[in-house]
Amino acid sequence: MSDYIVEMKHITKRFPGIVANDDVSIGIKKGEIFALLGENGAGKSTLMSILGGMYEPDEGEIYIRGEKVQISSPNHAARLNIGMVHQHFKLVSDYTITENIVLGVEPIKKLAGLFPYVDIRNANRKIEELSKSFGLEVDPTKKIADLTVSMQQRVEILKVLYREAEILIFDEPTAVLTPQEIEFLLGIIEGLRDGGKTIILITHKLEEIKKVADRCAVLNKGKLVDVLDVKKTSVNLMAQLMVGREVNFKSEKTPPQLKEEVLKVEHLTVKNEDGFEVVKDVSFTIRSGEIFAIAGVADNGQVEIADAIAGLTKVSSGKILLQGKDITNERIRKRTEAGISYIPEDRQTFGLVLDFDLSTNLALKQYYREPFSKKGILNKEEFEQFGSKMIDKYDIRSGQGIKTQVRSMSGGNQQKAIIAREIELKSPLMIFVQPTRGVDIGAIENIHKMMIHERDQGKAILLVSLELEEIMNVADTIGVIYNGQLQKVASSDTLTTNEVGEYMMGAKHE
Amino acid sequence: MSKDSKKNSLSYSLIRPISNEKWQPISIPLVSIIISFIAAAIVILVIGKNPLQAFYNLFQGAGILPKPTYAGYKSMLTDFLSLLNAMTPLVFASLAVAVAFKAGLFNIGVSGQMLVSGFLATIIVGYSGLDAVMAKPLVLVIGIVAGGLMGGLVGWLKYRFNINEVVSTIMLNYIAQYVISFFIQMYYIDPVSRQSRYIAEASRLTLVNVEIANLKMDIPLGFILAIIIAILIKFLMDKTVVGFEIKAIGSNRNAAKYAGINVGGNTVLAMVLSGGLAGLAGVTYYLGYFSSIQPKVLSSIGFDSIAVSLLGNSHPIGVIFSSFLISVIDQGNTYMSSQAGIRQEISSVIIGLILLFSACGEYLKHKVSRVKEKEVERKESEA
Repeated sequence: MSDYIVEMKHITKRFPGIVANDDVSIGIKKGEIFALLGENGAGKSTLMSILGGMYEPDEGEIYIRGEKVQISSPNHAARLNIGMVHQHFKLVSDYTITENIVLGVEPIKKLAGLFPYVDIRNANRKIEELSKSFGLEVDPTKKIADLTVSMQQRVEILKVLYREAEILIFDEPTAVLTPQEIEFLLGIIEGLRDGGKTIILITHKLEEIKKVADRCAVLNKGKLVDVLDVKKTSVNLMAQLMVGREVNFKSEKTPPQLKEEVLKVEHLTVKNEDGFEVVKDVSFTIRSGEIFAIAGVADNGQVEIADAIAGLTKVSSGKILLQGKDITNERIRKRTEAGISYIPEDRQTFGLVLDFDLSTNLALKQYYREPFSKKGILNKEEFEQFGSKMIDKYDIRSGQGIKTQVRSMSGGNQQKAIIAREIELKSPLMIFVQPTRGVDIGAIENIHKMMIHERDQGKAILLVSLELEEIMNVADTIGVIYNGQLQKVASSDTLTTNEVGEYMMGAKHE
Repeated sequence: MSKDSKKNSLSYSLIRPISNEKWQPISIPLVSIIISFIAAAIVILVIGKNPLQAFYNLFQGAGILPKPTYAGYKSMLTDFLSLLNAMTPLVFASLAVAVAFKAGLFNIGVSGQMLVSGFLATIIVGYSGLDAVMAKPLVLVIGIVAGGLMGGLVGWLKYRFNINEVVSTIMLNYIAQYVISFFIQMYYIDPVSRQSRYIAEASRLTLVNVEIANLKMDIPLGFILAIIIAILIKFLMDKTVVGFEIKAIGSNRNAAKYAGINVGGNTVLAMVLSGGLAGLAGVTYYLGYFSSIQPKVLSSIGFDSIAVSLLGNSHPIGVIFSSFLISVIDQGNTYMSSQAGIRQEISSVIIGLILLFSACGEYLKHKVSRVKEKEVERKESEA
């Protein structure tokens, strides 16, 4: 009846307290790349989880190939040829590529017509053919544990192709990739489209949409704002529709006023639990009024550098000096008091005690000293006053004010709470690890502003980020890390995005 | 209104009494207890007896309600005092579990810690012939120190070698049980009772057969201490830096470490506190409720206290009430069985049911919030 392969009509999905999708209607044509654009919490993932069978909508109808369906489970979605490439890979690391791909749909043969076994040899061959035909070459007998992140993503893609998916949903596929790998992936996505597949791309990166997508639906606060023809729409307009106001892409920043040295890291080496050197002989300095960013692909040792400076990881050799004082073997609290603020990568595991309330979490680093406590007795009033002050000052939004359990707060507001707490420590050195991960564009802008503001106040700032764009945007000095070693340290003015990308891949070094 | 929404609003009115989150820490255990008594009533009905009669007898036996007749020198007051006497070690033991639980630790070794401290207090003070003024405080001190050291050992093993406290406490239970059994059999055995020799009255924490107003009663001195300690623990947990740190490592070890809290030190400290409380349970049990030690037997109090602590929401004051309830059933069952003709085992069934339903508290909480959500939706759709 229509030329749409997927039609979602008047979809409404409510969760306690929020409407995740509010009367959203979209239609996706066969053989197009359809992008879903929106901030975090805009409802893109919910919408696609409904299509993928993870949730059932409260209201609305779904038509696949013109037929009305009620998708009750991910398996049901798979039978309708809908496949999802997840942002967080769902792979068994001790299994081979083939074993991962056939998991759940194993080709069973019977030995002597009696004893069932999995026909891996045949599956290997089939997957090799499949991977070649889509330009996704892999060695099917390799273990997942030995693969790079981008290769693992290929396996995820092959997994849905093996299940004969015609409609492929990509959930933020580029979040974990380097610029070069992103290029390659976008090429593959285009190839899949040209091979007749229908692609739905969930993302908040505008330039990717501009590059590959045909049409783009913009969601804001659960509502469909517009469906745009990407070729005819400017990036700025898309951003504006997404956020609901005009956005500054480039943070406004004056040239840095470098003053005295705050942090000096000398020949730092860190070993992981297996005794493997994850940080090798890294040296750098950060001065007051400088934002020093470590760029790199995930898991190349950058988080360990931050952890080593903050004291969460042991240093196996080398020295860390804070304002000239050796803190290499100090306790964490001593370092905090000596002047380190730390916004950790994993805010829920490290940054917050989720079962404590907001005011308690805001005081998490100062509870033991005056005025928060006197002679070992806590002063709850001070907790509350401090908490209320922070909520106003940093615009932290929560259901029940200072009494809100942090677990129930949104990711963006949890991050605001951590940043508020750490800025209030007024430390000369501030470490930000992935400060904008999972935070929406409006809030990203805000966090960048705060970082630059702190820099202008004379703080030394260490930024660790996987987002190259972010690094190019706010850093004064960039150190590129690959395989635990700093490949290049240079002023951000002298480096281009592509150069940094090459250093990140280890393709180029000094 | 559809049938479905009618059902929803019915279940909503059913759960209304426990829907207020502020009161849930109290209301949910209460509802669990009521449900378990209903279940127990069904059991009693099935065996052909009157449940109301049985429960009435139960409370009479525990000294909560008056019996029709009393033997000489006995009254409801004496029954009630022996209830408190039996309850005292359970309060301490449950506090021990609760404190460890706040730190995210599971102290299954309360029984072993009780036995060690009880044994040491017995041989050091119980057989010493010291004056009561000296002996009684000394018993308490030995209880706290011995239990605390043993708990601290568990904490240290966890922090230093990452040995799971569940494993180490179970193993230490066995070690304590058999080593102490060996010493009792070798040196301290009473040939008649086949238990350790009775301790001197001066060192006993319960004053036995005190004659007041023509009544012979047992006065459990430890009970007053138990109440005081429970209040102190509440203060420690809610209002002090130490309590804050213990709760922080219990809620999220990583975040606690990140915030600069000494995770290892606080793990050891929490286990020392827990062990010390278990030690108090040990001395009020072996040198209070009893006055000798049966070799090769671990007290079941150490294990019951885990469930009692859960029933009391791991809250120091809640633990007093849950200990009270469990002790009432435990103490009242003899009288119930003789009066109502129900075997004593039934009272164990009731205790079992209460503990079972108390463990379902989290489920109830979850169910309540689900029904509440639905009710909100229903109201919205009607509006």
